[in-house]
Amino acid sequence: MSSIIPGFLIAILMATSAATSPSHFEAIAKQAETARTQDRVPDAIRLYGEGIRLRPSWADGWWYLGSLLYDQDRFNDASSAFQHLTSTSYRGPAYAFLGLCEYENRNYEAALKSFRAWAGAGWAGSPELVDVALFHFALLLTQDGRPVESLYLLASVAPRLGDVPELSEAMGLASLGLRYLPENYPPELRERIWLAGKAALYAAQSPHDFARADEFASRLEKRYSGQPDIHYFRGTIFTFENKTAEAEREYREELTISPHHSPSMVALAALDLEKANRVEAGELARHAIEADPENPEAHHLLGRVLMENGDLHDSLSELATAKRLAPDNAGVRAHLAMVYAKLGRSQEAKAESAALLALKNKEGVMAPLTVKLRGAKEGAH
Amino acid sequence: MICRVLLASFLAAAASSTALAQVQQASSPQSFDQLLQSAEKARDEDRNDEAIHLFRLALVQNPNSEEALWFLGAMLYEKEQFAEARNVLRSFLAIRSDAGPAWALLGMSEFQTRQYPRALQHLQRAMAEGMGDRKELMQTVFYHVTILLTRLERYDDSLDMLQRMLASGAPDPTLIEPAGLAGLRLPYLPAEIPPDQRDMIALAGKAVVALQMQRQDEVNADFERLVIAYPDQPRVHFLRGASLAELHPDQAMAEFERELAISPSSALARVRLAQQLIAAGEYDRALALAQQAIQLEPKRASAHMMAGEALIAKGDTSGGIKELETARQDDPSIGRVHWDLLRAYAATGRKDEAGKEKSEIEKIYHSNSPSHSQSLGDSSRDSQPPQ
Repeated sequence: MSSIIPGFLIAILMATSAATSPSHFEAIAKQAETARTQDRVPDAIRLYGEGIRLRPSWADGWWYLGSLLYDQDRFNDASSAFQHLTSTSYRGPAYAFLGLCEYENRNYEAALKSFRAWAGAGWAGSPELVDVALFHFALLLTQDGRPVESLYLLASVAPRLGDVPELSEAMGLASLGLRYLPENYPPELRERIWLAGKAALYAAQSPHDFARADEFASRLEKRYSGQPDIHYFRGTIFTFENKTAEAEREYREELTISPHHSPSMVALAALDLEKANRVEAGELARHAIEADPENPEAHHLLGRVLMENGDLHDSLSELATAKRLAPDNAGVRAHLAMVYAKLGRSQEAKAESAALLALKNKEGVMAPLTVKLRGAKEGAH
Repeated sequence: MICRVLLASFLAAAASSTALAQVQQASSPQSFDQLLQSAEKARDEDRNDEAIHLFRLALVQNPNSEEALWFLGAMLYEKEQFAEARNVLRSFLAIRSDAGPAWALLGMSEFQTRQYPRALQHLQRAMAEGMGDRKELMQTVFYHVTILLTRLERYDDSLDMLQRMLASGAPDPTLIEPAGLAGLRLPYLPAEIPPDQRDMIALAGKAVVALQMQRQDEVNADFERLVIAYPDQPRVHFLRGASLAELHPDQAMAEFERELAISPSSALARVRLAQQLIAAGEYDRALALAQQAIQLEPKRASAHMMAGEALIAKGDTSGGIKELETARQDDPSIGRVHWDLLRAYAATGRKDEAGKEKSEIEKIYHSNSPSHSQSLGDSSRDSQPPQ
């Protein structure tokens, strides 16, 4: 008897609790939604906070709480809310918001990691969120020394966003390979970042506005002709415009100013390869690797030269290095597949082809700008 | 300095929140109350580090204390700990979103941490919320809004702000460089001006200020010096042309042509030249220039406006109306577009639409104060009806 009563009481208590908690929670959830839709932001924040305390698994609650806090620039608190969502159906956009909060909190390493997770989850989010997250992702890539990937992302939104000052500033930093964020570069770099950014932005428009791109690039060159990276940048614009002779002149000019400028050597090697000048292409690619052993495009170029020379084993080694350094580079995978096929290693060739297809399906998330530019040219034809 | 003004002036607002603070203190009255009093005493006695520490402790007790958040934010700003000040002020403004001076400090903190778009947004919010009669604070906010507008390539808005500042006080030498930058459409802050361009920007700024203050005797001499000293610099001839447009249209056209030779992609120079050509009755050329400007900048309302005016003048009323409607869609605040449409609708018997344009014009003229700065930038901003 004595043991039955407590059991009975517990059963009643549980039933009562089951009856009141959900209704209480639902009432709070409804009030929160009403407050949010009526733009009573402080009330909404308080009510969503209360809701998630009652039901910590309430993903919608965390989502709206995080979004409202983010809109209020309360990035620390918003960041905590979005952390709760990275294993829910909100995973993709939550990573984007998390990255943005971490960026605002100047936790750049974590932000870059979150943006990579966002990309891995399929770049999810509303169009506005995607634009903002992609922009900040690109800024961090530039700061991390990956300007080509950064430019690829920025160029992908430039035609839609048009002439936006923040975008051209970001493109200027990436174009000149300056490892800064907009908020921390030295003031004396402002003019060259602006001029380079405008040139890159106009070149990336659809249809390309090469006239204006040239106007700004030419002003940049006039003002800073003796500075490193300026002629290389000018060369990339000429390459984009299919003006190969002018591009070649600029890359060579860059090498007189910066004799160990690996990207210029790679660019010249690529032009040589197009002209079937494999001897100079090979020499330049080797010099580029000496200057920067971690440059994936240098290894890629040398791998291509060796492949065309029939030196398949050495080619394979260079392409494998390129793949290690840039696993998402679709071009490297394509050439690896070709070399494997020539060597009769059909399984590995198939695997690389499959990887290539997967990368293409991801729209070459981190493909080098040259791949995108090549695609643009092919599209134009 | 600004902070001291703010601290003093905002005390009244803080006091008004005392009732709320008292309610908030009810849960832990002694500790919070004591901490706040000690913090304020330390602040009054210039023991600022101690005051900051005590305000922080008070906020642990009561994170929503308006007084503690405000004083802590303001003191951190004064100590140039801008990132922290910014975070504290954000929390304060989440509770008191109508506090203009707090928006001002937040915007200034963001300016210092170089978050320029956000700084501009918040300084403009400070202007919208109002800063009472605190002239010094308002001048600081106006100045920073002006230079940020230029930095973010909103040159015409920047010129309008300069005009307002110049109209409200004595000539201020600190406005010379911002005027030069906005006039030459160079998106730098004064601190970012390349040393070898400083003289040119100062000279242009002097000319722009003289024009905005209608000191006609100085205007011509200053622009003349600018053109002679920097004949090949982009925007110099445009600026000179814009200064001549009203009184010497022929000379203005020649300057706009020179500008186009230096800056072949300038949509703005095309628009201003088209405007002069329409006034001179050269509609074919005006139309061609306006259409080129549209191609360069499809969203520039003034280019569509010029195309519309030229088409109507050439007899293509329906084509002209279409362009004018595009201009109205791109920027509904341009009085001249509404005037053009009013006339075009009236001429084609579309009375209802003409009536709507009339009311729009009345609204615009009631809300706009006359401005002269537009003549240095995009003429579409001139709310005067076409002659």
